[in-house]
Amino acid sequence: MMKPPMHVAKAKEVEAIGFPLTAESEQPFQAISKLGHLKEEMRSLMVMLETCTKCGKCAEQCHSYLGTQDYYNFPAARAELMRRVYKRYFTLQGKLFGRFAGAEDFDGETLTKWLTYFYQCNECRRCALFCPFGIDTAEVTIAARHILSELGIMPRFMQGVAANMAKTGNNMGLPKLAVIDNAEFMEDEMREELGIDIKIPIDKPDSDVLYIPSSADFFTNVDTMIGAAKLFYHLGLNWTISTTVLEAANFGLLFNLDVMKEHNRRLTDAAHTLGAKLVIQGECGHGWRAAKMYTQGANGPVPFQIRHILDFAAEHIDHLPLQKLPIRATLHDPCNYGRAGDLIEQPRKVLRAIVDEFVEMTPNREENFCCGGGSGLLMEEMKEIRMQLGKKKADQVMALGSLDYLVIPCSICKAQLPAVMDYYGVKDLKMGGLMDLVGKALVLK
Amino acid sequence: MLFFIGQVFPYIAVAVFLLGLVWRVRSWLKVPVPFQITLFPAPHSLTGRVTAVGKEMLLFSSLRRGDDGLWFWAWLMHITLAMIIAGHIVGIYYLTHQFTLIGLTEAASSQVSAFLGAVAGVGFFMALIVLLYRRMAIPEVKRLSDPADYFELCLLLTIVITGMHMRTVSEVNLPVIREYLGSLMMLRPVPIPQEWIFVSHFFLVNVLMLYFPFSKLIHMAGFIVNRAMLVEAAPSYPTGEEHSHGGISRDARVSKGGAQL
Repeated sequence: MMKPPMHVAKAKEVEAIGFPLTAESEQPFQAISKLGHLKEEMRSLMVMLETCTKCGKCAEQCHSYLGTQDYYNFPAARAELMRRVYKRYFTLQGKLFGRFAGAEDFDGETLTKWLTYFYQCNECRRCALFCPFGIDTAEVTIAARHILSELGIMPRFMQGVAANMAKTGNNMGLPKLAVIDNAEFMEDEMREELGIDIKIPIDKPDSDVLYIPSSADFFTNVDTMIGAAKLFYHLGLNWTISTTVLEAANFGLLFNLDVMKEHNRRLTDAAHTLGAKLVIQGECGHGWRAAKMYTQGANGPVPFQIRHILDFAAEHIDHLPLQKLPIRATLHDPCNYGRAGDLIEQPRKVLRAIVDEFVEMTPNREENFCCGGGSGLLMEEMKEIRMQLGKKKADQVMALGSLDYLVIPCSICKAQLPAVMDYYGVKDLKMGGLMDLVGKALVLK
Repeated sequence: MLFFIGQVFPYIAVAVFLLGLVWRVRSWLKVPVPFQITLFPAPHSLTGRVTAVGKEMLLFSSLRRGDDGLWFWAWLMHITLAMIIAGHIVGIYYLTHQFTLIGLTEAASSQVSAFLGAVAGVGFFMALIVLLYRRMAIPEVKRLSDPADYFELCLLLTIVITGMHMRTVSEVNLPVIREYLGSLMMLRPVPIPQEWIFVSHFFLVNVLMLYFPFSKLIHMAGFIVNRAMLVEAAPSYPTGEEHSHGGISRDARVSKGGAQL
């Protein structure tokens, strides 16, 4: 019996967030039945499971397979973990021809393999770009993780994030008082630096703009938050942050679609309460995908605008008082900005305006490789695997020679890439968000 | 037996092929798309979406990205298959004199027809051999493959071999075959011409049609349904409001409390 590489949440823990653990003997049956439901609710899953010709093109395009060299991390093989049982129970071909057509029974090993390998897919969608049919393994991964969580099976890391989110409105578990404290700390920083009072308003009623940062921006990546606050100050925006949704990330998208909807409802509710006409998402990759692509499907018509801070910054960048930073910088395209979020040229426009030298890594834009931490694979116990998943990215950065700054405008990338660069021996390279640099280049009086 | 193969089985095969195809596609289209899965950069207009999917279909552009040779053989296989299907339709109907329509003599037309048929047949055969070899030679692909994957390639190979045989080694009586196929289409089937090479070729094609809707060959239809999802327009907020795509978006004028943006 193989053992999944992550700590799995215990029965009591999953129960606490509303996912009672299914008895082991019941699990295969329940998994098949959930798969049967999901295939009737998700066209992408059904078509993608039924269309693969097994040409193998995706193998060389997946950083997960390239980094780990584990057969089940080859996208088509990963999807086969679901496709084989899907064929067996839901297709005429599988029922008639069985193993001849690659259909297999759902056995005890299957669930463990799902847990192991669907949590080594970063949901980066690169395979979809290279597949002749556009089969997106991320869809299969999303479905598999959803089914697992419905059975009460999930990494403890996901469970912890979901519990924090339910309790505090952010992944880090920061209570409101701590949020206010941290905001004051950042305001002090800015006052010290510039001698100006720049506010980071918390739960301010009647705000036009609701800004949703990543909670890590209140904790480890404060420069990103400061950059955004400076930009809003300069533009004279009537904006606020809401403690009910102090989290651009939406981990529901990464393990359970109902949790995703629930989190997304926080966004729409907060915007309603404030009367905001515009919601701006902070630097977070999958959170941007969830907000942009899932809000309407999750919670109905949306009466306000949803934009990304980098799209917003790109609109205004030409009219800002800027002092270019004397650095050589490159940009890592978070997968959920490029392939999944239509933010490809905007960060480039901003970066070109604020640094002396901007170099592209190869490949870039929609062909860029994932950082290896995507889809929330940040658990400490998976660090070794995560470093393998980040190998391709390290190669890309090292190929550029000497650099001053690596722009990684996504909280997961910000957690993953410093560790990756360190692991592969890239020293003295500063890394951080793009708004960090905007804040530094902005000349405020 | 020949009665079944010649006058019954073709109808079963065609009916299963067509109904099976419709049934499979319907089963996909019945299922909702709760969340758009647009893959960016994506086209912004209907024309753009049709062009993008059309380009994929004709040139296999995604497969060509970071090409490892697979693109050429896969594309060759499909383009020669398309030539073969078109060639069968006009070649049999006009008894290889189809090119008289563009001014050639009957003899020249038959020669051109034979030449194009040979090119397509050889190309298709070679592509299938390479794809079969590739399936066995690349370790990941070999491990991924099931008997069905080999069966499909072998079935196509036997079809192309028997087909080429008819135009090279054994000269079949084309007018008789045309009359037989015509009678099938008119729903007044006459007995199948007793030329074993034709009978086996024709039978194998019917087996392929019967098998088609229940195999991965359905990727022909899955391709379109899947690609349509990937080029779908992303939602725009506020819901229903069109704004400019592709570039940087602009917000509803926000004025309360702050400066005009």
